[in-house]
Amino acid sequence: MSIEKAYILLSIALFLIGLLGVIVRKNLITILVSTELMLNGINLTLVVADKVIGAVHGQIMAFFVLTVAAAEVAIGLGLVVAIFRLKGYEGSSEITHLRD
Amino acid sequence: MEWLIFAVLGTWLIVSALGVVFVKNPVHSILFFLSSLLAMAGIFISLGAELLAGLQLVIYAVAIVVFYVLVITTIPWEKVKRFEGFYGKELTMSAPALVVLFLLMAYMVLKGEFAKPVGVVKDNLREVGKALFTSYLFPFEVASVILLVAMVGAILLGRREEG
Repeated sequence: MSIEKAYILLSIALFLIGLLGVIVRKNLITILVSTELMLNGINLTLVVADKVIGAVHGQIMAFFVLTVAAAEVAIGLGLVVAIFRLKGYEGSSEITHLRD
Repeated sequence: MEWLIFAVLGTWLIVSALGVVFVKNPVHSILFFLSSLLAMAGIFISLGAELLAGLQLVIYAVAIVVFYVLVITTIPWEKVKRFEGFYGKELTMSAPALVVLFLLMAYMVLKGEFAKPVGVVKDNLREVGKALFTSYLFPFEVASVILLVAMVGAILLGRREEG
C-alpha cells in the first residue's frame, strides 16, 4: 500500500467522523464545527490527489473550499444567533417548525 | 520516515476529530477542532502544500475558531448547557452504517489504481501562484464576490429588527 492510499483512507475517515458529528450532536454550534471537519477531509483528498498526479489544480480547489468555508461559517453562525434570538432555540431537536 | 510522520499526524488528527464529536462541552469541542487543524496543517506541509498549510493556519485556526468562540460567548451559558453532548439512539443507529460505508470506500481505494502522473511539480508555491492568477483568475474573482455576499448576509442576519 502506498502512502497516498493511506492518506486517502485518513481523509475518508475524517469525512465520516464529521458526518457522524452532524448526525449525533445536540448543539447547533457543534454541528457547524462538524461540517468544518468534513470540509477538512475533502481538502486532504484534493491535496493528496495533487501529489499523486503531480499537478497543482487540487490545491487551488482546496483554496476555494477554504473560501467557501469562511463564507459558510459567517452565514451559519449568523443564522444560529438569529434563531437563538428570535426563538430561544439552541438544540437541534427544538427546531421542528418551519414557521409558526 | 514518511510513514512515521503519517502515523503520528494521523493518530493526532483522528483522536482530535473523535474528540470534536464526543466531548460534552462545546468550548472543549472547539479546542479539539483547533488541535485537529494543527495536525492537518502538518500533514499539508509533509505533502508539499506549504501555501495551503499557511492558509489553513491563518484562516481556520485563527479566524474561524475565534469566530466560533465569540459566538459562544454571546449565547447564555445555561441555554448551551441544556443541549450539550450527543443523542445516544442516533449514535447506535448511525455508527454501524458509517463504519460499513468506510469499509466499502476503503475497499474501493485499496483495490483501485491511481491515475498516471501528468508532470512533476518543482516549485510548488510558484506553480500554485501561476495557475491561480492565470487559468483560475475568474474563479478567484468570484471567490471575492462570495466573501462579499457572505459579509452582507451576516450583517443582515445579525442586525436587530427595528419595529
